Amino acid sequence: MAGAGGIRLSNVSKAFVARGKTIEALRDVSLTCEPGSFTALLGPSGCGKSTILRLALGLEHADGGRVEIGGQTSEKATASGLTGVAFQDSALLPWRNVEDNISLPLDILKRDRREYSAKIAELIQLVGLKGFEKSLPGELSGGMRQRVAIARSLVTEPGVLFLDEPFGALDQILRRQMNIELQRIWTETRCTALLVTHGIDEAVFLADRVAVMRSRPGRVASMIEIPFSRPRSPDLFSDPVFHKLCDGIAEVLHGG
Amino acid sequence: MAAEQVLPAPKPLNQAPWFAPVRNIVILLVLWEVAGRFHLVADGALPSLTAIVERFWADRADYPAHVWSTLVSSALGFAIGNIVAVAAGILFVLSPLAARLFRGFNVTIFAVPTIAIAPILALTMTGISPRVTLAAMGCYFVTMTATVVGLTQIDLRSADLVRAYGGGKWDVMRFVQLRSALPIILAGLQVAAPNAVLGAILAEFGGGGRWGLGIYLLGSLGRADPPRLWSIGLVATAIAGIAYFIFGLISARVTGASKAVTMTTSLPPAGARTGGQWPSLAVAFGSIAVPLVLWWAFIKLLGVPEMIGKTPWGVIEYLFFLPLSQQAQTRLLDAMGQTLPITIVGTFAGLAAAFALSVSSRLVPNFTRALMPVALFSQTMPLIATIPLFVLLLGRGWLVTLIITISVTFFPAFITLAQGMKMTPRAALDLPKAYGAGAWTELKLVGIPAALPYLFAAARLTVPRALLGVMIAEWLATGKGLGNLLNQSRGYLDYGMIWTVAAASVVLSVALYQIVVLVERRVLANMGMRGSE
Repeated sequence: MAGAGGIRLSNVSKAFVARGKTIEALRDVSLTCEPGSFTALLGPSGCGKSTILRLALGLEHADGGRVEIGGQTSEKATASGLTGVAFQDSALLPWRNVEDNISLPLDILKRDRREYSAKIAELIQLVGLKGFEKSLPGELSGGMRQRVAIARSLVTEPGVLFLDEPFGALDQILRRQMNIELQRIWTETRCTALLVTHGIDEAVFLADRVAVMRSRPGRVASMIEIPFSRPRSPDLFSDPVFHKLCDGIAEVLHGG
Repeated sequence: MAAEQVLPAPKPLNQAPWFAPVRNIVILLVLWEVAGRFHLVADGALPSLTAIVERFWADRADYPAHVWSTLVSSALGFAIGNIVAVAAGILFVLSPLAARLFRGFNVTIFAVPTIAIAPILALTMTGISPRVTLAAMGCYFVTMTATVVGLTQIDLRSADLVRAYGGGKWDVMRFVQLRSALPIILAGLQVAAPNAVLGAILAEFGGGGRWGLGIYLLGSLGRADPPRLWSIGLVATAIAGIAYFIFGLISARVTGASKAVTMTTSLPPAGARTGGQWPSLAVAFGSIAVPLVLWWAFIKLLGVPEMIGKTPWGVIEYLFFLPLSQQAQTRLLDAMGQTLPITIVGTFAGLAAAFALSVSSRLVPNFTRALMPVALFSQTMPLIATIPLFVLLLGRGWLVTLIITISVTFFPAFITLAQGMKMTPRAALDLPKAYGAGAWTELKLVGIPAALPYLFAAARLTVPRALLGVMIAEWLATGKGLGNLLNQSRGYLDYGMIWTVAAASVVLSVALYQIVVLVERRVLANMGMRGSE
């Protein structure tokens, strides 16, 4: 592992211009994720949570403020292979098989794929896709494709992992299974993780801290510590304390 | 039958999907045979199928050399044109400034009536190079556009992924764009293949020589021998059709390997951007200058004698500053006055028919379905090979020109419209019906507005074709207009006029195209839609 780096956003602002109108996606947002921590960004659609992630990945540039990943600029951090990412859609290349899709970040970073063959096999095992190495995405189910995307995000052994609603397109049952698997995977790698989601239970189950965001302008409204010890078992989903916490967060989200 | 009207979707189970088209084709062939046998059409201008086959068999020794000659030049032009086109497409996607600078060039290549520059190429080049050049030009625009569309309409999330790992423009191109564009580029090649054949045959018309289907056709035109003309025309169609079919197969294979997975259908956001530091006026000027500079460079590089090869300035001089300029202007304007009205009327008629038919395709789906194969087939027929057949059928008056214009505009417009309207979301079409609207209300509210962008796309596509069709008809048959003036000037070795007519017809074609683009932008902007350019 490249060594977990922290994520630091200091007073970041970002506005978009659409059809002549300026939309303030983020105003003066500060967020610090300690190395090895798991943070969830929770909020309604359009509150700028995906924008934070895109800024951190260097896909967008902030109008004001600073973004640092492991003490470097986003561009340097991503180009050095420090980061891994999984988007809401698996965004697999339809013409590459499972192995080749997982290897895509290595190809982009111009790393020698052969040195990672053991790692790739291990990841395929980890996400439960053994036997599907040579399958094309079109031959996989939605959940399987998403697991390929998770494996791909881990192939560079990232110190910082970004997850943008990685299970947003899955149904509730599959989503819960994937939450449990993701927790197991993350516990093994112990990288710094930033998860963007609008599922409250997902955020609470996975994260050490939940940052609740509000829109217009996008900002972090409150930061909530999640007290449950790890490893967290699936039983947690039916724990009354868990539900109370979720209800509290829902209140912060919807007004309060 | 009554059951079929109540439940339109399901077909009888025992009927294979190919049954209806095959049945229609068989009926058509039988009708053809009967009409030919009994001299029912234009006093025997439409020969029977068997007569055509007999003639073909009698002439069989003539064909190999002609076919081979046409094949060689089309294949060479196809290869060169497409390599240039793909490279240009990649360049335009990587550099928006280049795309804007070359817009004038691209539109010119698209709109140029090939028949107008065939004589010019024959004057300035030797051997088979005019044929190769025209074949290449026939491919360039189609493949270049397909490349640009393929490279831009990518899955944006895949591009994000590459950039999220620090990948640059080239990495996105390498890992995502090139491969995902491949099916669209192949579809472009499929359309380009018949164009290459058409280009080569056109050059044979204008250039002389001994071998080639165009030469053969031209040589047979004067003899009153309809079966031979038809058999040459059908052979040319078959070559184009086979080329179309082969690339269709390749394209289906490649597409099969890469589809069946979610891909975004959304267009990339089109912002006001690109080439910011260059003022748009300068770019617009450059875009007009590029074709002229290339024209000038073409003459200079080939070292054509000034007497034969005219530069842009040479044409202006011929038209305005020579003793005979006044006379040249009159002749040119007269010819334009004959060509332009019929082009416009024919285009409107063809577009209107295609629009009416495709818009009402929800009312008469069976008719549309039956027409589609015919329309697609007509696209593989080299125009040049079919026009003599029209002349046989309709004589040499203005009617033949009009019918040719309508037919060259109708089918491509119909295909563009029908394929475009398939993309209208079913839910949008169903919504009026869900509120009890009748077919006409549904058309007015959804069908027609949804078809408008495709109507404009069809108009852009067909306006230059219409001019080409009119000019070919004028050249071969009616003895009027720009096509005829071009042919006459060739006979008189009036080089200045040849260049002038060529330049004028290109300018005319580009102007008509630009008018469509302007109207399109205005209308679609008012309706809150975006064109497909």
